[in-house]
Amino acid sequence: MAKHTLDPVGKSVSRVDMYDKVTGAARYADDLQFGPGLYYGRLVRSGYAHALIKRIDASKALQVPGVKAVVTGKDTPIRIGLYLKDRFIFAMDRVRYVGDAVAGVIATSEETAEEAAQLIEVEYEELPAVFDPEEAVQPDAPLIHPDLGDYEVVNFILPEPGTNISEHFKLRKGDPEAAWPKCAAIVEGTFRLPQIQHVPIEPHVAVALWEPSGQVTLWTSSQSPFAQRDLIAQSLGIPHGNLRVVSPYVGGGVGGKAGVSMEACAVVMARAVKGHPVKLRMTREEEFIGTTVRQSLVAHTRIGCDAEGNLLAMETRYYFGGGASNEYGVNIARAAGYSCTGPYYIPNVKGDSYCVYTNLPIGSAMRGFGMPEIHWGIEQIMDQLAEKMGIDPAEFRRRNCVKTGDTILTGMKMPQIDLVACIDKVTKAIDWGKEEKPSAAHKKRGKGIAIMWKAPAMPPNPGSSAIVRFNEDATVNVEIGAQELGQGAFTVAAQVAAQALGVPYEWVRISAPIDTKYSPYEWQTVASRITWSMGNAVKAAAEDARKQILDVVAEHWGEDVENLDIKDGQVISYQSEREQPLEKMVIYGLPSEDFEGWKGGPIIGHGKFMPTYVTNLDPETGQGTRAVVHYTVGAQAVDLEVDTETGEVEMLKIASAYDVGKAINPDLVMTQIEGGAVQGASSAFEALKFDEKGQPLNADLVDYRIMTTVDAPREIHGDIVETPLEDGPWGARGVGEHVMVQTAPAIANAIHDALGIRFNDLPLSAEKIFLALQEQQKD
Amino acid sequence: MLARPGLPSFDYIRASTAQEVVRLLKEHGEGARLMMGGTDLLVRMRQGDVRPKIVVDVKHLPGMSEILYEEGAGLTIGAAATMNQVAKHPAVRAHYPLLAEAANSVASYQVRNRATVGGNLCNASPCADTTPAILALEGRLVLYGPNGERELPAKEFFLGPGQTALQPGEFLTAMRFPQLPSGSAGKYLKLGRSKAGDLSLVGVAIFGFPDETTSSGYRFRIVLGSVAPVVLRALEAEQVLASQPPGDETFALAAQRAMEAATPIDDVRGSAVYQKAMVRTLTLRGLRDVWEQLAGRKE
Repeated sequence: MAKHTLDPVGKSVSRVDMYDKVTGAARYADDLQFGPGLYYGRLVRSGYAHALIKRIDASKALQVPGVKAVVTGKDTPIRIGLYLKDRFIFAMDRVRYVGDAVAGVIATSEETAEEAAQLIEVEYEELPAVFDPEEAVQPDAPLIHPDLGDYEVVNFILPEPGTNISEHFKLRKGDPEAAWPKCAAIVEGTFRLPQIQHVPIEPHVAVALWEPSGQVTLWTSSQSPFAQRDLIAQSLGIPHGNLRVVSPYVGGGVGGKAGVSMEACAVVMARAVKGHPVKLRMTREEEFIGTTVRQSLVAHTRIGCDAEGNLLAMETRYYFGGGASNEYGVNIARAAGYSCTGPYYIPNVKGDSYCVYTNLPIGSAMRGFGMPEIHWGIEQIMDQLAEKMGIDPAEFRRRNCVKTGDTILTGMKMPQIDLVACIDKVTKAIDWGKEEKPSAAHKKRGKGIAIMWKAPAMPPNPGSSAIVRFNEDATVNVEIGAQELGQGAFTVAAQVAAQALGVPYEWVRISAPIDTKYSPYEWQTVASRITWSMGNAVKAAAEDARKQILDVVAEHWGEDVENLDIKDGQVISYQSEREQPLEKMVIYGLPSEDFEGWKGGPIIGHGKFMPTYVTNLDPETGQGTRAVVHYTVGAQAVDLEVDTETGEVEMLKIASAYDVGKAINPDLVMTQIEGGAVQGASSAFEALKFDEKGQPLNADLVDYRIMTTVDAPREIHGDIVETPLEDGPWGARGVGEHVMVQTAPAIANAIHDALGIRFNDLPLSAEKIFLALQEQQKD
Repeated sequence: MLARPGLPSFDYIRASTAQEVVRLLKEHGEGARLMMGGTDLLVRMRQGDVRPKIVVDVKHLPGMSEILYEEGAGLTIGAAATMNQVAKHPAVRAHYPLLAEAANSVASYQVRNRATVGGNLCNASPCADTTPAILALEGRLVLYGPNGERELPAKEFFLGPGQTALQPGEFLTAMRFPQLPSGSAGKYLKLGRSKAGDLSLVGVAIFGFPDETTSSGYRFRIVLGSVAPVVLRALEAEQVLASQPPGDETFALAAQRAMEAATPIDDVRGSAVYQKAMVRTLTLRGLRDVWEQLAGRKE
């Protein structure tokens, strides 16, 4: 082995998947080969936003040569869902959005399945539909889930049966009514964000095989192999031990491959043709409406501060447009509720966060999970308050942002963070306060800042586990259930194991693909929780293995185990200065003196981690001892110029700083920061668009524009702040989603600095900015 | 509703003579589609917009991909020459830089390796990026049909969105451009929603040259893309530039006239109001640019 990296934690070692990814050797779900017995599936989708299904006639489809079976809602009578079981795998009696899966056709080729799918006749009775979440909560709005009261739901989600509200989170702290009169400045606004899509480079794909024996295997591109096993097993009545989910590398997740979306359809289709694997893959167009999207939001927010510029009171109502199913999305509204102030200390708060059914594609997890949505308004209001008070916006944030030990909105004490340091870093990087000239007379230049917080949004007790297995030559196999989405989870696992074991980084191998039959349990690769949670589990497993080794050697040498250590793949004694290589002994053990017997044996360490301290919150006030495990915080500042003759925005520089506790791999943190800056900026300029009947208008990459390299900020700067987290491995906390949470409002604040114009609604566009400039000139 | 995976079945025929193409077109009528780069046809077949029974590949016909330039005679570009071929060709860059610039603005580099200028014209899309330049340079199209070859000024080719003057059995084999007036200059400006790979929201081609027959001493041609059912010449704007002395005031008035000539519609890509305003912005920028080139050349 050429390289030999000791103590890799904190070093920018090469990724374990580098060679595979750079050479193209990496295999993804669609690359797997299944031989000539493979069938293909295609879905029949609703053309109506809301309708009753009166009749499905598949007789013509079944006559097409090569068609093997057709499945419909009749085959899937048990609802599925993560937090709220509100969704049929195939629509049962009604469709709730344009794109809802109504039937599945299985055939010997994808083309045949598609041809047959077009021959399935579905008779609908159209119902009134509703698309805006605020309209959907009105008493006369069409009811999208009349059976909401019957749905199985976890105890911390509170639906309101008889309405379209699937979750209502209430936050009550202090006395806002009494505080408003004491405010020297109050800013109020309504802010809107549209649905957007993740656009992973690899569209969703699933292959399912239902064997006649009852063993079921699902090969899929997934952030959540274990959650998929759990949810699909429950819905289809499969014993968990009989359902195996195998997931190779994921070509981009961003939340869109969390939980279950189209994968369950593939399993149901496979059940209809037992013994034959069935492949179901989404076209790029289906990706927009047939998987999941980020929820929309309407926010009404009011914030006030006293004469010194200290925040005093906040009142907010968040209406999340959750789309046709909110099985995952309910927890987005909840997360937005218990974090509704953003990263600020505000003594008096009234917050109501609603997840609302609408007749649009299914809203679910997307990078940041509720936080990009709420920060869009909050971070613009903070700028407006600072302006009213004559305080520099960065200084206003330093004064009011959350600090370690603060009693935050839920009553929880803020764990260790340093947000002020993040603000200092980005303002320095961008020459905050220094006015810069635009590059041409028709351009205007501006700078903007925004800060953020986010807690991992998840149930109170998601678990991680890991196994560390030695091989004869003392190379190590690390088994985890966390998924490699491109973020570097496998590399971090290898670094943590090497560091905790005392072996070179290059000795560690990650056991992949993730396979629920062989890999140890991991809740989901979401919420930026993996470095922290899986990291702790891997560390525990490595420490377990290390202890087993040291015990054997201590006994062998007759020394106190406290005096032994593992360094560079050798056990060493600080007492006797003896050395024992790990090679061979980690499998064969060590012989006794004179070879009269042996000690030890194959070394296998195991470890787990599960937060045990998160408490439930009071349903009326949102108060509790510990709402979340921790928060990651950060700041971004943007320098941009606007072409006043076209409205085009050019981002000259974006600076980001995040408090990651400990950068296990600084290069990986920087790649998150770079990717987040681009995705965050991109998310400010595009939206899924629908006509008045809920038909998608831009469900393709021709008319749904994402930023390319040439559109990205010209310079992306990143800084890392390290305030150790009490229960993180070496103090590490996650930084994956955070990097795009406040990008859009940072841009909006910079545009305001340049033009003096505020935009309350996303998406921004050159057109919108140009037309606003025209209006401004008229005034 | 959504595009399907893969393509519906069809027969692929690689034509080797022009006569064969004419015969196949006559035989199959609407059931036959000609293909060169396929960057538009295959996409539309996948979307289900067109369902040809046979696809006739004409890019291998003799001369279809050739680019020929002869001093005095001008430029001939085979209909199947790719965008990148045109954009990179030394003679095109030296003598018809406006055309090279327009070809280089189409979609992305990868698409430009396949997409052809002839295909771009035959789609008759109002947002085709090479059409404004071809009209500004007063190109002529060579058509081959049952009665042999004929030539048509490019401006007479476009009848409406997707509609051309091609007769049954007829197809485009080449574009011809006259030798350009000496001291001429051109500019193509395109506005998309992102900097690369987008369709144009507005495209403006400007071509200008000294002309003693006008009272301003110059003649300009202004051609607008994406803002009318067909690519449009802004004749009123050209008239302003022919009659009034070149300068910012004249250019502003001409840009205003160009905007007035545009008749865009609201769609998912942009509103009519914005597109009209951008015609003015781009025309003004283009005129200033071309004027700088012309003035520079005069010195």
